[in-house]
Amino acid sequence: MKRYIIFLFIAVLGWTLAQTFRAIPFGADRRGNLDQPDRVAAFYLKESPETLQTANSITAIVVNFRGFDTLGEVTVLFLAATGLASILYRKEEDDETEERITLISSSLVRTGAKILFPLILLLGIYVFIHGHLTPGGGFQGGAIIATGFLLMLITYKRFDTNHNLMVWLESLAGLAFVATGLYGLFTYGSFLQNTHSVGTLNDLISGGLIPLIYIFIGIKVGTELTNILDILLKIKPGKQS
Amino acid sequence: MNEFNELFIKYKDLITLAVYGTAIMLIIIGLYAVLLKKHLVKIVIGLSIIDAGVHLLFVAVGYIQTGTAPIFSPGYENAADKMVDPVPQALVLTAIVIGFAVTALALSLVIRLYKHHHTANIEQIKSLKW
Amino acid sequence: MVISPVHYIVAPLLAAFAIPLLSKIYKDAARVVPGIVLFYNVIISFVLMKQVLKQGMINEVIAGWQPPWGINLVLTPFTGFLAAMISVMGFIIWLYGFRFKRTLKGGVVKYYEILQMMMIAGSIGVIITGDLFNMFVFIEIVGITAYSLTAFYRDRNGAEAGFKYLLLGSLASTFLLLAILLIYTQTGTLNMAQIAERMPEVSSGIKITALVFFLIALGIEAEMFPLNGWAPDAYEQAPSPTSATFAAVVSIAGVYALVRILFTLFDVAGVHQYLIVMGFVTMLVAEIAAVSQKNLKRMLAYSSIGQVGLVLIAFGVGSPLAVFGALFLMLNHAVIKSLLFMTGSYFIYNSGEKRLEGLNGMHKRLPYVSALFSLAAFAIIGFPPFSGFWSKFYILIAASDQKMIFLIIGILLVTIIELVYYLRSVGRIYFAKEEMQDIAHKPSVNALIAMSFLALFIIIIGIYPDIITGYINQAAAALLDKTHYVQQILGSK
Repeated sequence: MKRYIIFLFIAVLGWTLAQTFRAIPFGADRRGNLDQPDRVAAFYLKESPETLQTANSITAIVVNFRGFDTLGEVTVLFLAATGLASILYRKEEDDETEERITLISSSLVRTGAKILFPLILLLGIYVFIHGHLTPGGGFQGGAIIATGFLLMLITYKRFDTNHNLMVWLESLAGLAFVATGLYGLFTYGSFLQNTHSVGTLNDLISGGLIPLIYIFIGIKVGTELTNILDILLKIKPGKQS
Repeated sequence: MNEFNELFIKYKDLITLAVYGTAIMLIIIGLYAVLLKKHLVKIVIGLSIIDAGVHLLFVAVGYIQTGTAPIFSPGYENAADKMVDPVPQALVLTAIVIGFAVTALALSLVIRLYKHHHTANIEQIKSLKW
Repeated sequence: MVISPVHYIVAPLLAAFAIPLLSKIYKDAARVVPGIVLFYNVIISFVLMKQVLKQGMINEVIAGWQPPWGINLVLTPFTGFLAAMISVMGFIIWLYGFRFKRTLKGGVVKYYEILQMMMIAGSIGVIITGDLFNMFVFIEIVGITAYSLTAFYRDRNGAEAGFKYLLLGSLASTFLLLAILLIYTQTGTLNMAQIAERMPEVSSGIKITALVFFLIALGIEAEMFPLNGWAPDAYEQAPSPTSATFAAVVSIAGVYALVRILFTLFDVAGVHQYLIVMGFVTMLVAEIAAVSQKNLKRMLAYSSIGQVGLVLIAFGVGSPLAVFGALFLMLNHAVIKSLLFMTGSYFIYNSGEKRLEGLNGMHKRLPYVSALFSLAAFAIIGFPPFSGFWSKFYILIAASDQKMIFLIIGILLVTIIELVYYLRSVGRIYFAKEEMQDIAHKPSVNALIAMSFLALFIIIIGIYPDIITGYINQAAAALLDKTHYVQQILGSK
């Protein structure tokens, strides 16, 4: 009985979505007037190269126009890491789960991982430093860095992220992000407001505070994701607690 | 570019069906997994599939016929009229990160439940009433 | 230094990022710092409230982009009132839980305090933001902290309640995202004031779909029937200060989001009737379920859902007096229900028994706490000398103004149900025989101060409701005056 109700619900939802999106033509221009913007999309496309001198307009939106969302987003990730630590791994209570689960990997994998690891880190750093010029940015770069650490964590049983250093980096990056926002508040009167000397379009140093904030985000996301992976790998499933 | 434009106009209905249809099908499949599957990890996978569908819808809605990425790289400084809507892409970035955080938390709860019950079958876990 | 609404969010964020570092230097930082931050929030909410009442509205811009281009934080008398209320309750709950679980080791306390503080900050964010997508982000912050805190005790029921809450919560966020997407494609903006302005141009099919998605999503957050399956389990399994926060802070934020979207964004007829019907069903089902509960916290949770139902009814009636009653009831619900959870948790702590039998003869062991519990129980039923009386009274008057006889009968009927189960618990405390047990765990000083403060508030408001009614009146007027809201925000362009 419950099954059929659920099927009915899913069918109704699918039909509703299909009907609704038929009224929203695919590929139609919904940005509004580009010269005198009346919709936010047009405004962002106009202001991002003109006022902010930021080539990647998505970065301009994420970090500046809607920077408050991004602050919230970083916080969500931080809280997820905190919640994960509180639910899964409590150093003080679960001493027996210190050990990480890893398979024994062959020397080929180990050597390859050792070579790849610095390169992956470099790629991650490249991606978040060039977040305002090319596709990518803090979140993407942070995710790449975390994959590098994941590779090391599953290859080497003895590899350990320096937990202390991670906590420091993560906290300091978060504080620096908020502090940059406060700098805008105290200097220009609005939280996260950008500096006026923003450089020229498509230079590495352009967009004012945007690259700086994206670097903080990159560090923070990288350390947070590494932390989450570390915690998830550290527990032994199946063991009674 | 022109060729692509012609092709797009010619097969517009098909492309629309493909993009929207995929996204809506993903949402439906995910919902099916969440509501009817018995295995906890499958439920979490279902949540991720729903998220993927919603994100695809976002990006699809932002697309503009033959539009390019909204990046003003050298040579494209004045090409704003050819660029797709950047806002849904920025929103999707936020939504993806939030979806990731929720998935990680869900998996941690699954691990907890597995530790207590030694099973991931939801039928054998229901000790709390709905 | 100028105080602005952005401090509500920035101060807790700074503290949350700094606590892992500070607790390396000073061991008790995780306990102390959130208190300082929450107290700071109380101070700024009073300063800002004064400013709002003088100017009418504060519109704080983020990143220097005027609305509708950037994100803005809006303090009207309505949102300012709710933000002040949540700040005060957040601080009192921190005070109550200051010495919570002293046996826990440092690291675990750190997680708990960060999550608890950010849950309160996120709820304030939901209330003060003027941007639709930003509201979604804050709802997710509240959600993630709430799932983690529900599973904080790591026993089997905790994890399950947390998982259930997480499932429903992420379905809610899916629907919320879809609704935001639909609204964005039609209006090309995410600013709530501009959406409200452009709403008449949206075709009715999409409008209705978006509205239904919003109702599903925020119905889950606001504990509306039948989407509130998560609530009793979460209230029961969470640590007691967190249960109090769910009742006093999170449910208020959920109701706010629902009301803001229905009242300001949409202009669809029939929404008010829908709110009345759903609120009534929620209230009736929850109160009937509360009678049959054998577990104290579960009973309080169902009673909490019932109160939210009554709030929704009052918003549905929609006249200025009814909205006034609804806001008054929200305030009372936050204060009284958290007092009930706080005292109830001491009973559970003392008897080691989560079921109602644990209350037997408690007045001998904890006379003061028992008195506070009884006071709160009488207040929430709506006995005259307490604050709960006035909110119910105003809602009934508003209903009678609209000639809604059945509604009045229904509310009175539900009051009788409430009377039954609260008097039953109070009766157990005072008249049931207790089996002698070991020595009592006396409440700590900080918890006593917190609980006494709430009790004092209930009595003072009960005797002189005029202290607070002026503010609530302005708040209700601000919510109902939609055109003023739109003009004030977009006019400053």
